[in-house]
Amino acid sequence: MAVANHVERRPPAKRTEAGVRADNAKPSGNGQKSDPAQPVGQALTSGNSDGTLERLRLRMMVLIRRFEERTFQEYTRPGQKIGGFCHLYSGQEAIAVGTAALFDKTRDYLINGYRCHGHSLALGMSPRVAMAELFGKATGCSKGKGGSMHLFQAEAGNNGGHGIVGGQIPLGVGMAFAQWYKKNGGVTFCFMGDGAVNQGTHNESLNLASLYKVPCIFVVENNGVAMGTQVERASAERDLAERGSGYNMPHRNVDGNDIDQVIYEFGQAVARGRAGEGPSYIVANTYRFRGHSMSDPQKYRKTSDGKWVPEFEAARRRDPMVIYERRLRDAGLLSDDQLEQIESEIAETIDQAVAQADADPHPALADRFNDVLAEQYPYEPKKD
Amino acid sequence: MPVMQYREALRSAMVEEMERDANVFLMGEEVAEYNGAYKVSEGMLAKFGPRRVFDTPISEAAFAGLGVGAACCGLRPIIEFMSWSFTLVCLDQIVNNAANVRYMSGGQYKVPIVFRGGNGIAHQLGATHSHRMESVYARIPGLIVVAPSTPADAKGLLKSSIRCDDPVIFLESEKMLADTGEVPEGEHLVPLGIANVERPGSDVTIISYGRPLQRVVRPAVAALASDHGIDAELIDLRSLRPLDVPTLLESIKKTNRCVIVDEDYGYCGMGSGILYMLHKAAFDYLDAPIEYVHSDEIPVPFNHYLEEAMMPSVDKIVTAVKEVCYR
Repeated sequence: MAVANHVERRPPAKRTEAGVRADNAKPSGNGQKSDPAQPVGQALTSGNSDGTLERLRLRMMVLIRRFEERTFQEYTRPGQKIGGFCHLYSGQEAIAVGTAALFDKTRDYLINGYRCHGHSLALGMSPRVAMAELFGKATGCSKGKGGSMHLFQAEAGNNGGHGIVGGQIPLGVGMAFAQWYKKNGGVTFCFMGDGAVNQGTHNESLNLASLYKVPCIFVVENNGVAMGTQVERASAERDLAERGSGYNMPHRNVDGNDIDQVIYEFGQAVARGRAGEGPSYIVANTYRFRGHSMSDPQKYRKTSDGKWVPEFEAARRRDPMVIYERRLRDAGLLSDDQLEQIESEIAETIDQAVAQADADPHPALADRFNDVLAEQYPYEPKKD
Repeated sequence: MPVMQYREALRSAMVEEMERDANVFLMGEEVAEYNGAYKVSEGMLAKFGPRRVFDTPISEAAFAGLGVGAACCGLRPIIEFMSWSFTLVCLDQIVNNAANVRYMSGGQYKVPIVFRGGNGIAHQLGATHSHRMESVYARIPGLIVVAPSTPADAKGLLKSSIRCDDPVIFLESEKMLADTGEVPEGEHLVPLGIANVERPGSDVTIISYGRPLQRVVRPAVAALASDHGIDAELIDLRSLRPLDVPTLLESIKKTNRCVIVDEDYGYCGMGSGILYMLHKAAFDYLDAPIEYVHSDEIPVPFNHYLEEAMMPSVDKIVTAVKEVCYR
């Protein structure tokens, strides 16, 4: 397939072909029409050969990027509508969208740290529902009780955004354990950032997952810096893939800015998980274009006169969205008109999402007491 | 009714619930091949096989969190801790994940999980192994906290806890496991959130639970009756969260006096929380300030006599009761 001919860096051409084959293994629908109002996560998994699928993936990357840019604006503009901590995903989109391309919503799970907007959109959360949660509105995915760090969509297999670094890793193992227990062939994508590999839960969870051979795919999104602490100042082993060694499971690096490589490498881990061969550990190397959170002045990336360091400029040139866009153009799968249409539809989608979220109601004050417990107390189970 | 040990009562609850529901499984350190560090799960591996009874490495955070994740996805884990003291290394998994995931997701998940094991001071284990964790967990919305003091309650409360769709902190004691008592067979379910008036009385309400109730409160109540002519009403809380305030209040309205006994620290201890709830509701019915008998504010010492001295005793309870009765 033409797409395979333009991998930018570390090009395992064979792998990319395999990645495309893996996509085509799932029977195609009729190539879903781009509808700005529709979440497109599911569509990402159905392939055909006319570029529709590839454009949907690009479209999702664009959606995430524009959503995050708009989130930045809404957070920083006067009369700030988004409160609390907020962590943007810009620059890492290929990883979430590549994951969605492999994701079977009927049986797979995804669990994540707090940088969770991109994955949630990629798995099909509507931008309006996501934005409403950032605004703390009753119509948000978590009814305004979770916020930016806690986007959940259980029916889509999106088991959240979790706020404590590394705290979600054991949960991910448990979700994979449930899939193993039910023998349903599902896999769990357990995401974390490079900061999480230094938490104790990382060691414990990798060991337990491998010991029990549960279908957990640990994905470290290595954007190079945990808040302001670069990987080399936090991890004695600078090759983070090596942090997955010693657990008797495959561990490797992947270029997280190249969606086709992501799909290929993650696809190997998915196949392994579905076949009952146990967990995998993948470090997806990438770069975040924004600060750690909204309050981050990013001094660690700037020279004394306030300019971006060369590393940042270089990373900007490896924008995953641009890489993929060029690849599709070079392969003849994307025209100027098509890209323009994607951009304009997404601009409209996001405008609508923000307008709707803005107009949506805050939760009723009495709702703060709901969703604490599932049972009524005193609780007495019914006798058999 | 058959007489059995507390540990056998726990086991029969787990066995019956695992027979009843294939989604229930047991996981913890030494629960399977070793047959339980305290023999609570003896024979369960042989009965249910390695797909439902799991030994874990010494990784409390990982297996506690595994349980929470599995519970979010439809299973009903029983996670055994060798000691609740060890949960200090996995507090995040219980407090942030088990208790909060339902709320933070706007009610998208149920978390039907039981965490169980020995809690409190179990004789000469030293400061790190003797924590009384009840007040740590009972203050967290989203958790249910249960502390049975008899074999019958151990079974009935555990069965209810396993069927409950919320995360339950189930507090046993290594020093109660060999206690024996009559235990109803089969479908014995004790409700969560209802206290038990174990002994009706008219002069004073004594509130306690779990190990301290078994160790010193029952003997103290007997001594009060036989040696001091004080007829105490003894209430076993059974559930620490939610607290059965109506039952406590009803008793205090009758006796007008109240003593709380636990082995926690007084400051920010379990009894302090109970005091807060009662102070608001029972103030007008009290003839004396509520007394609270608790452990000394020191790390738990190893030496037998020092350890004994730091904890509530029959004498300390009798003194407190006489204080509120103005005798």
